Amino acid sequence: MVRPSGRARVGLALLALLALPGALGGPPRHPAPLTLVPVTARDVLSLARRPGAAATLVNVWASWCVPCRQELPELLRLARDYRGRGLRLALVSADFDSAAARACLVGLGVNGANFLKAEDDMPFIATLEPRWSGGLPATFVYDRAGRLVSFWEGRSDYARFEQAVRQAMDRGSGPKTREKT
Amino acid sequence: MSLRIARTPPLAAGLLLAATLSAPPARALDLGAPLPARTVAMRNVDGRPVTIAATRGAKGTLVLFTCNHCPWVRAWEERFVRIGNEARTRGIGMIAINSNDPSAYPEDAFDAMQERAKSHGYRFPYAEDATSEVARAFGATHTPEAYLFDAGGRLVYHGTVDDDARHPDQVRQHFLADAVAAVAQGRAVPVAETKALGCGIVLRPAAQE
Repeated sequence: MVRPSGRARVGLALLALLALPGALGGPPRHPAPLTLVPVTARDVLSLARRPGAAATLVNVWASWCVPCRQELPELLRLARDYRGRGLRLALVSADFDSAAARACLVGLGVNGANFLKAEDDMPFIATLEPRWSGGLPATFVYDRAGRLVSFWEGRSDYARFEQAVRQAMDRGSGPKTREKT
Repeated sequence: MSLRIARTPPLAAGLLLAATLSAPPARALDLGAPLPARTVAMRNVDGRPVTIAATRGAKGTLVLFTCNHCPWVRAWEERFVRIGNEARTRGIGMIAINSNDPSAYPEDAFDAMQERAKSHGYRFPYAEDATSEVARAFGATHTPEAYLFDAGGRLVYHGTVDDDARHPDQVRQHFLADAVAAVAQGRAVPVAETKALGCGIVLRPAAQE
């Protein structure tokens, strides 16, 4: 099988996002079928830099990861609550088996475009965040310019997600900053 | 010397959640760091106490944080078992450690560890880190995660097994096997730090919590 280049994958991912609005946990105006778009870390960063969102929260998860599954409903609730304020939520599954990721998302009522890691682990980790050990779940919050504002590993809750998103929205036009972990 | 093996009673879900959410971010050992938590007594799958110190080899020591439930562990298991079994014949001690809270992952309970070690041919200790104290001392965050120390007990390799968990026949870089070979021969490790995705370790609550 010929795998698409990184640039092609960016196009595919963004095209999928544009073609399938209302995804990622928010109540869609026009419900779209769930799709899993293969992405590299560069694709994810391109998405975070794409205009149109006040903040982007990227969560890397896997269907068999208990802490990941525990926090997904919190993320989806946040996405609904902040839909009108410009939050873009990108769920990136690290599952070996896309069917497992799909089943998990369907069970949570997720539709539209979501993502599946399609890159070797080391470049994926190094490109997204060198401080990331590789543990799951991992959360990355970017401001409107695609600058990383917060990053952490491990399970979190609504309050911490919301705090990070608000911080990113507040700092959207300020200098580049990073949360110390 | 008598060893007391720490055990944690079953945890209420609320306590586990609180501990998970309040846990500070781990910081892994830096290269060159001394072997930590050497004398912490854990329970080996043979039912006896074991410490990292007791597993040290004359040429080095390999400590692998692992578990039963994790798909990445399963993908790499045949390879790291082979590496660990062979390392012991080359003067490098090997110990596998499960620091997960089994209330989060029942598959990681002690009896399942015993079965796993037996069915997969572990010829090295597979120990239950019943307080997660050892994982905290290493700053270990996920499984599988390897730490290799030289004869002097200094960290010379930290990271993953190789560069392709899913496709053993497509591995290009045998990071851990190469590091073990180098330490066994007294050479510098070719690639000292690597990373891979893995299953986050769900630590038991710390003693003071």
